[in-house]
Amino acid sequence: MTHSLHREGSPDSLERDFPLFISPASGFNYKGSVPKIRRLVEALYKSGVANLIAMSLRKNSYSGVTPEEVVASITVEGTRVCSVFAGREKITEALTRIRELDEGISIVVSGLIDRVREIAAEVGIEPHMVNLSLGIHGHTDRLPPDGIREFTTMCGHGVVSPNLVLETICRVKTGKVDEWEGSLILAEPCACGIYNPFRSAELLREKAPLYAVDRW
Amino acid sequence: MIIHEEKCVGCGRCRAYCPAVAIRYDGLKSTIDQDVCYECGTCLRAAHCPVDALADSPHVYEYPRALRKYFSDPVATHALTEIPGRGTEESKSNDVTLRCGPGRVGVAVEVGRPTLGMSLRDVQKITRAIAQAGVHRIEPHNPIHSMIADEATGDLKPELLGERVLSAIIEIQVSRDELPGILRTLREVSREVDSVFCVDVFTVVEPGLKIPEAVLAGIRSEGFTWRPNAKINMGLGRPCKE
Repeated sequence: MTHSLHREGSPDSLERDFPLFISPASGFNYKGSVPKIRRLVEALYKSGVANLIAMSLRKNSYSGVTPEEVVASITVEGTRVCSVFAGREKITEALTRIRELDEGISIVVSGLIDRVREIAAEVGIEPHMVNLSLGIHGHTDRLPPDGIREFTTMCGHGVVSPNLVLETICRVKTGKVDEWEGSLILAEPCACGIYNPFRSAELLREKAPLYAVDRW
Repeated sequence: MIIHEEKCVGCGRCRAYCPAVAIRYDGLKSTIDQDVCYECGTCLRAAHCPVDALADSPHVYEYPRALRKYFSDPVATHALTEIPGRGTEESKSNDVTLRCGPGRVGVAVEVGRPTLGMSLRDVQKITRAIAQAGVHRIEPHNPIHSMIADEATGDLKPELLGERVLSAIIEIQVSRDELPGILRTLREVSREVDSVFCVDVFTVVEPGLKIPEAVLAGIRSEGFTWRPNAKINMGLGRPCKE
């Protein structure tokens, strides 16, 4: 799920992009997990999560759903939660809270390895496993340009289409939407809630000048 | 997915949302190319058709087309794994399950990612190559495992080969010594597949998030490099069994 290790972009941009997953293990700790997951989700909200989807509701943080509704929707054992933080301070705060809760549920963070190492040391966490990306192979000439992939790879399942990114860049450039509104359009197809709208708005601001569009 | 022709007003709004570029627009109406559509449901979920012309195909859960839905729609829970998504829990809950021990290395091949998708005929090229390299055990909890007709050859069930999926994940485990060989195999088969795939390598780390040098050496030895960002299991799960 989520493909979050393959997020593309400059190291500077990835400094503000930390997906975080609450991952109960089927057959191991599903039983009795509902109140634990609820407490963990509350900790994410308190820490300023940038986007979040609980698999029980499948609505992202900008759909109009409230944190209380998301927490209340978690009624099934083993409900998974995907989220993203837009800065080092907030992910550090979230991990500090999660560590204090000590619920025993697996927590996964994606991000720059060096940065996650520093954060883990700061919070007093000893990471267990790393999942490295060895890149894309095969007919890479058929891929959209890397500037577009910086948007599309924020959705691990690849359902933010390159054409939607191009259309949104066009709409930003012609003043039909601003960068934030454009980012929310791009975040909506992502069913896992790890599309980072703050980073996306930065990228729209950065990329829009590079494209020529027809205003007519 | 289908578009009800009698409802479609030809606004073209849905086209940009389709990651497979399956929605055609002739200037009057939009239609969906059923061969190209992955059944990911993105158009239905996100495009907000003003006249509700988009709908699930009545045949979407018929075998083998249902595989498109299970492997491509992030919201669909796979009938076999009962987990939303294309893979298993792989590295995400390894601190609890200890499925991949310290001496082992997990390798995941994320076929069709990013964005392009892949035919199951191409997935078979990879499963065959892996089998020929001597790895005959695809992770049994992974949906791909149920599609294998012959573990010795890596052949998929023949009735599936005409299907296409937006993404699927082939997961295996090897010893550290076997890692270079399997990476070599993946490089070779990358020249044969008619799409793209991403390669993941996951391993238990040493204190201080130190990646075992033996694993990194195995990656380097085959000319691969790794991205500076990764997915990291933070070690906050407690091993247990229900």
